[in-house]
Amino acid sequence: MRVADYLQWIYRAVNAQKRRTLLTIFGFSVGISAVILLNAIGESLRQYILQEFTQFGSHIVAITPGKTETFGVGGLLNTIRPLTLEDTISLKRLPNAKHVVPVVMGTAQVKWFERGRHTDVAGLTAPALSAWQLSIAQGRFLPTDDMLTPRAFAVLGATLKQELFANDNAIGEKVHIGSHSFRVIGVLKAKGEFMGVNLDDMVYIPAAKALRIFNRNSVMEVDIFFDDNIATSAFSEQVKAHLIARHNSEDFTMISQDDMLQTLDKILRFVKYAAAGLGLISLLVGAVGIITILTITVTERTQEIGLLRALGFSSTQIRYFFIGEAIVLALISGIIGYIIAMSLLFIAKLFMPTIPIVFDALVLILALIISMIIGMLAGWRPASKAAKLKPVLALRAE
Amino acid sequence: MNLADHWLFSYQALIRHRLRSAMLLLAISIGVSSVLLLTSIGEGARLFIEQEFSALGAKMLIVLPGKKETTGSAPPIYGTTPRDLTIEDSETLKQISNISHVAPIIAGTATVSNQSLARDIIILGTTNDMFTVRNLKLQQGKKLPLNSHIRATPVCILGAGLAQKLFPKTSAVGQWLRIGEYRYRVIGLLEQRGESLGLDLRDMAIIPVQSAQMLFNSPALFRILLQLKQADSEAKTIEQINKAIAQRHEGEADITVVSQDSVLNAFDKIILAVTASIGAIAAISLFVAGILIMNVSYISVSQRREEIGLLKSLGASASEIHRIFLIGSLVLTIFGVLIGIVFSYSVIFLININFPDIPIAIPWWSTASASITAVVVGLLFSWLPAKKAAAVDPILALRGEQ
Repeated sequence: MRVADYLQWIYRAVNAQKRRTLLTIFGFSVGISAVILLNAIGESLRQYILQEFTQFGSHIVAITPGKTETFGVGGLLNTIRPLTLEDTISLKRLPNAKHVVPVVMGTAQVKWFERGRHTDVAGLTAPALSAWQLSIAQGRFLPTDDMLTPRAFAVLGATLKQELFANDNAIGEKVHIGSHSFRVIGVLKAKGEFMGVNLDDMVYIPAAKALRIFNRNSVMEVDIFFDDNIATSAFSEQVKAHLIARHNSEDFTMISQDDMLQTLDKILRFVKYAAAGLGLISLLVGAVGIITILTITVTERTQEIGLLRALGFSSTQIRYFFIGEAIVLALISGIIGYIIAMSLLFIAKLFMPTIPIVFDALVLILALIISMIIGMLAGWRPASKAAKLKPVLALRAE
Repeated sequence: MNLADHWLFSYQALIRHRLRSAMLLLAISIGVSSVLLLTSIGEGARLFIEQEFSALGAKMLIVLPGKKETTGSAPPIYGTTPRDLTIEDSETLKQISNISHVAPIIAGTATVSNQSLARDIIILGTTNDMFTVRNLKLQQGKKLPLNSHIRATPVCILGAGLAQKLFPKTSAVGQWLRIGEYRYRVIGLLEQRGESLGLDLRDMAIIPVQSAQMLFNSPALFRILLQLKQADSEAKTIEQINKAIAQRHEGEADITVVSQDSVLNAFDKIILAVTASIGAIAAISLFVAGILIMNVSYISVSQRREEIGLLKSLGASASEIHRIFLIGSLVLTIFGVLIGIVFSYSVIFLININFPDIPIAIPWWSTASASITAVVVGLLFSWLPAKKAAAVDPILALRGEQ
């Protein structure tokens, strides 16, 4: 028998019971689109978060004081091995370091005459402007003063400026942070949140001043932005060797953006696959649907099968008919499911244009292959049942 | 027709097509049990956190230095402020009548060494109240001296893991070790309780809070943990704390008080949202099962045309036929739901028996909503096929024509 004949037979079978076919296809395609949709949502989430993290570039190494395995909190705690501004200055001399930004964070009341606001204080240096991709709305950012003896200037975040000054002019005014007074030299444009920290409700002052306000001798973190033409691992080694030479021991923790992204990526990938896995349950139920309907079809067409067998069709050929039918049903469902999922994603994209949505041809191919395999598996039992029918009994069947 | 008749009628129809009914039951029960089992994982996480919190002793407040007025933002985790929160501040809080225990904490990283063995770890400087507030127990030795908030006694208590690493062969209690530039005597060992809400106490050392002030050369407290006598007057107590601190801090209450309840509630909300959405995703499979029910119902309506014709000619009304088919699907759906529920609860039961440490349970709301969703889906999707059955013309049907 030619392939075309098989196809025609399957076409007739599928076409004969339109409603039944439609419902079967609909059920299975809901399952397929659930898998594709959840996978796409997982992927969008992954890309969104990675984008958030790489907005400052990926050639960054962060150093926190204290060597502990406890990830991340080192900088917030006290330490007997401080990471100082002198360390920061010396790190600047590394040949491949582009920007070196010391970070001191804390909370304090920022006061302008009678108006005050308790908010975050960030102690930084001039390169933070380009490194953190902040943009100035009025005035200018912190100047490149000597790191140890900077002038008492402050730059306000957009929200903070609004809260303290409303529509008054802020540039040139004196504000008090703790017991120190600062001159406002700039206001930033609204930037939004980064990892739960509102960058707009914040005052930016020189790191040395922040250390004095908070009575600390250790910065919380030093961010080093390095040249693109050196590998992260090579640069990390340089930084490590440099600091060990200064401190006589490895009393700091270094996290490169690459390491962090890798860990994050691993977690997000897991989330994505887990989400797609949840969709598989619906696909499984859809497969049960195909099995059920095909079994019913085989029973209904017992006489027809008997006739075919009596005319000399082999049981293998009969098996092919039914498995072929299952595969065709599953494939059509796969295509429809892909179309449903993609249209939903497209609609979502219209409403949330900032969220990255991925249209991946690989997913379509994968969806079709999976549909085919499931169709084959689902068709197996009913097809075997049909193939095993004895022609004489089948012809006689009522 | 009364209920018993309906049941008999549906039962016969189901039993006549055993495979078909079995497949439908399978589809529904896969849907129901996937909802139940997946939500049970989320519920397990919630129970775990609740358990951890209740292990801390019920009524706890956390005082953090610093204050933020940014709406909806996280509390000031940095703990750095122009005006330090000090040991003396924490002593004042003892005068508030509803506070039973006050544990000031100075935290920092330092190198701990015993001869050539050295570890970089987190050091907690605190007082004995910490043991009550966090419900910590010693496996050996004694607690901190009672005057930890006044005198910098050079003693320390080690976490079980740390003691193992620094004193692999001998017992740690009574030995001397070095933390930073100072020498301390080990007076106790913490019980091997392990992790407690992100704080891995196995690899930490606890020293008197005054000693920590000396070690890190900073009077700034990282946190103050408070235990309340009565939970219900929490809001009033927070007010009193703010007042007491403001009095000492030149009229400014530059602290943030976080109650254990609010932390627990925040966790609860997040986990509940995640659990519910996972459950909803699993419920898509119930929708797919519904489509299958519809499909099979249509098939059985067309197969049972003659039977319907007979019933109608015997006097059954269209609405009665409609009801017969609806009830048929309903019976099937309910069985599917029951199988799903029995299966899921048995799985959870087996997990609970074999791994009693894993808190996992099926939340009642997921059982209820999965069952209701399944039944509603079953009814909705058999509505049209039942309608078709009701519209069958008895004369044509009996004659065997379409």
